[in-house]
Amino acid sequence: MKKPDTTKALWIGLAGIALTALGIRVSGAHVVATAWLVGLGFWSAVAIGMLMMILIHHIFDASWSTVLRRQYEHGVAAFPWLLLMFLPLVAASFVGSHDLVWPWMNPDHQIAGGHLVKEDLLYLKKRAFLNLPLFVFVTIGFFALWIWISARLRKASFSQDADGDVKWTRMNGKTAGFGIPIVAVTLTAGAIYWFKSLEYHWFSTMYGVWYFANCMRGALACGVLIMLWLYDRGDFRGILKTDHLWAIGQLMLTFTVFWAYISFSQYFLIWNANVPEETFWYNIREYGDWWYVSLFLVFGNFLLPFLLLLSYRYKVSHAAIRRIACLILFVIFVDITYNILPALQDAKGNPQPFLSMNLLWAATSVVGVGGVCIAAYLRSLPTTKLIPIRDPRIGECLSHHE
Amino acid sequence: MADRPYGLIATFATPGAVLRAAAQVRDAGYKQWDCITPFPVHGLDSAMGVGRSRVPRISLVGGITGFCTGMSMIWFMDRFDYPLTVGGKPFFSPLFAFPVSYELTILFTAFATIGGMFVLNGLPMHHHPVLHYEHIRRGTDDLFFIVIERADPRFNLETTRSLLARAGGTDIAELAP
Repeated sequence: MKKPDTTKALWIGLAGIALTALGIRVSGAHVVATAWLVGLGFWSAVAIGMLMMILIHHIFDASWSTVLRRQYEHGVAAFPWLLLMFLPLVAASFVGSHDLVWPWMNPDHQIAGGHLVKEDLLYLKKRAFLNLPLFVFVTIGFFALWIWISARLRKASFSQDADGDVKWTRMNGKTAGFGIPIVAVTLTAGAIYWFKSLEYHWFSTMYGVWYFANCMRGALACGVLIMLWLYDRGDFRGILKTDHLWAIGQLMLTFTVFWAYISFSQYFLIWNANVPEETFWYNIREYGDWWYVSLFLVFGNFLLPFLLLLSYRYKVSHAAIRRIACLILFVIFVDITYNILPALQDAKGNPQPFLSMNLLWAATSVVGVGGVCIAAYLRSLPTTKLIPIRDPRIGECLSHHE
Repeated sequence: MADRPYGLIATFATPGAVLRAAAQVRDAGYKQWDCITPFPVHGLDSAMGVGRSRVPRISLVGGITGFCTGMSMIWFMDRFDYPLTVGGKPFFSPLFAFPVSYELTILFTAFATIGGMFVLNGLPMHHHPVLHYEHIRRGTDDLFFIVIERADPRFNLETTRSLLARAGGTDIAELAP
């Protein structure tokens, strides 16, 4: 295959990062650091979803996704870079009043009603979890675990290209066995630490699963875009079959419904119980133009992709499924923004509007982090065979048929 | 009896042969015909010119019916038939009607799918004239058949027989009705 150009992606990424950094002069460090979390959250979701897809492929000994799995193995090369891009936020938690992003890191941070964090009962109850040393340990530890599991999966799969030994497939099966619980727990705790704790008063047992739903949707949408890109380059001619797109389209439909189920359940339980510690989170998300973002999540994030993905033709038409994949990536961005940005509040405790400079910095962060992640993928791509040619399931994958 | 057969049956030895023959029968414009193979042959659907199943459309109708049933049932009962204040909530809200509505969506979709499948494929069918054919059991083992029914408007004993022969079919026989 022709070697892809990594420098373009890297330059776009660096430009995004530079623009985001310029935002500090315009909107201040607190806003930009929180917006940076949107970029990290978005691309971490895609990378974690790819890792989960590889592990799930191995635990089921699946055959149809063998070709797709190789692309995900290149995609998870982004984890070290994601950690590197996360470190500025970790470092910022050690300087000044510690509350650049997360208010609970500063005991003297004033919360609504005039109390200080250190006098807040809910903080005191959650202090065993919400403290700076554990946060740093957990953030670096989670990324280390993801990097380690990715490295095991990549090593086994890439080694098999050379020697064709079935022991590598068995090793991946074992990695999947312990990897799925590890990634499930770490992505849940990570989502709680990084996004949910921005408003640490809140309770939701659905939160980790919500993030997992976005991880899977992001990975599937990126998988479609990667496969179609390789097809258009000519690399995947004769490899990518209609039924591969059909299979991945069905999973996209599944996780669209799954996302709706999780998000609805979270809202419904809080609406039904009507407890102030929980409802405030949704109340501020009905303030100002966030109300329309909420409605967009119902109709744009669920209903529209759901109806489109019901169709067989849209699932297998390259033009249609590409647009649906782009739509899903866009709605994931809106969803993560909806979860993070309302933590930026004005003096009265109301969230700053959705359509504001904050959204611009969130978008430049997504471009910045994304450019680096895509460069990491493109750098890994030409280092191995295009498809795992000696995988025991490769024949079944290449002749995959409904 | 003999001059009004159910149709013609031709035998093919390999999946490739039946695949090529099916394409020729399709191109000749026949609609009332079928292939009998011991196992699923990849690509046979398109060689026969068979489109995708119409069952999903029936499923969709079932799903929409189920959703509307759930919503309107709860709306009628809670708003008019027996209004109750529970937990300070409004008499009707689509939120609490939603779990019931989507469960009815799933239930009605399942009913419509199963029912639609049986309506469209004509099952259960306890007998079929093809079963009269003496070698039909080998169609579950190592032979491939193409059956063209007399009910097809293009069916003509001579031309259909010669088409099957040209397509590579052997042992072309008339099926008793």
